[in-house]
Amino acid sequence: MQGTRKRPFLFCTNPAGFFFVISSSKQLISMKYKILMAGVAFLAITFTMNAQGIMGKLKQKAENAAENALEKKAKEKAGVSGGSNQSGSGSSGNSNSGSGNPANKGGGGLVTTPPDVKANLADAETAFKSNSYADARYAAQQAMLGVEMEIGNKVLKSLPETVSGLPYQKESDQVTSTGWGWAGLTIQREYLKEDKQLRTMIANNSAWMSAINMYLANGGYSQTTGGEQNWKQTKVKGHRAVIEYNESSGYKLSVPLGQTSLIVWEAVNFASEQEVMSAANAFDIDGLIKTLGEK
Amino acid sequence: MKKLIILITLVSTFTVQAQEFDKNLASARSAYAAGNLEDTRFSIQQMLNDIDIIVGKEIMKLLPAKMDAMTANTKEDNVTANTGIAGVMIHRTYGTGEKNALIDIMGNSPLVGSLNAILSLPLVGNSGDGTQKTVKVQGYKGILQKSVDTETNKANFTLQIPLSTTLLTFTVNDSSEADVLRMANTIPVPQIAKLVQ
Repeated sequence: MQGTRKRPFLFCTNPAGFFFVISSSKQLISMKYKILMAGVAFLAITFTMNAQGIMGKLKQKAENAAENALEKKAKEKAGVSGGSNQSGSGSSGNSNSGSGNPANKGGGGLVTTPPDVKANLADAETAFKSNSYADARYAAQQAMLGVEMEIGNKVLKSLPETVSGLPYQKESDQVTSTGWGWAGLTIQREYLKEDKQLRTMIANNSAWMSAINMYLANGGYSQTTGGEQNWKQTKVKGHRAVIEYNESSGYKLSVPLGQTSLIVWEAVNFASEQEVMSAANAFDIDGLIKTLGEK
Repeated sequence: MKKLIILITLVSTFTVQAQEFDKNLASARSAYAAGNLEDTRFSIQQMLNDIDIIVGKEIMKLLPAKMDAMTANTKEDNVTANTGIAGVMIHRTYGTGEKNALIDIMGNSPLVGSLNAILSLPLVGNSGDGTQKTVKVQGYKGILQKSVDTETNKANFTLQIPLSTTLLTFTVNDSSEADVLRMANTIPVPQIAKLVQ
């Protein structure tokens, strides 16, 4: 019995049965203290981990809530009904949404007339003379927006209405401008028949376009032999170009137009490279360069 | 006498820029009337440049002539307008020794978006080691960063305040946080924000 009292703790450190025995009471107190400290440390670590877990969960919850709110907003904007809380809003003739607010039955939409260039130039002059520089800048930007929209529409008018038997989709015509001057102008037109599609994009006057053009026009794409060649340099009506092919997205043909513009065609379900080149040849590249004021 | 020369220089450059604006406005009008849209656009871009330069010079006039004992190095004042990726850039320095300060104001700064994100997240904005914290200067939120030179053990501070799409950066070398914030409060931030909006 005495022996067992003197050996209250037995630590088995391996299956072979190696024992480490503490026999003196002084050592016993020291060991108790160590165990206590280890326990405190363990609790502290557990607490920290739990706290991190709680923080993580809180963060996750906040992210989920933000995502849900954004999704809901986007759906509302797109007019898509969905989700369990919108079950009543889809029925026809019901003018109230789930929250009791009346649903919009229609309106005239927005008037999308481009800004009046002359009026905005006059506003810029007046604001500038009265030292209202923020107003002068705003009016000049609006004038810029008006001019860019006019340029875009002029370019759209100059594009062919049918390419390789594909008619253009009037509702897909798009001119985008920020009016900031440096962000440039983008013009889009789409040609479609059944599952065959040709998307045309023209980017004009972007500050970063000159770098892209230099890259494309000077053989930035290094040619390799062997393996699968899915891009190459080519020419469209005498202008340097790069054609790419991707099994899932189809053909992509890019032609730099002067210093700061670029035209890109994306051809889906075109049978061959030759067919894409023929489609591109339907466009008046020199005319586009002239209309865009490029050199 | 020196102040008079500076004033005359500022007034004359302002007049030249105003004349440029009028000239570019006239060019835009005549090009538009002639149906030359590309030239119209080019002239409007020049007008925007002119406005940026004038705004930059107006801001320069608003900046304090001294930061504590550090005098503005007006000869190094610089306003650059650039209708490219960055807008107007304004640069002023103070002091000549190791203890110096500089103000940089950059229009259309690409950093503004990420700074606003940091400012909206207090947990991210304040670092545990005290090298970064969010502060308010005349009601505008900003980020104050501290770095200590390992050789000299001197503290350098950078304060960044986003104003719409413009970024105001105030750097002070060899200083303390309290001094930096006190000096920052002498910068007329609301007037600058109004001019750059």
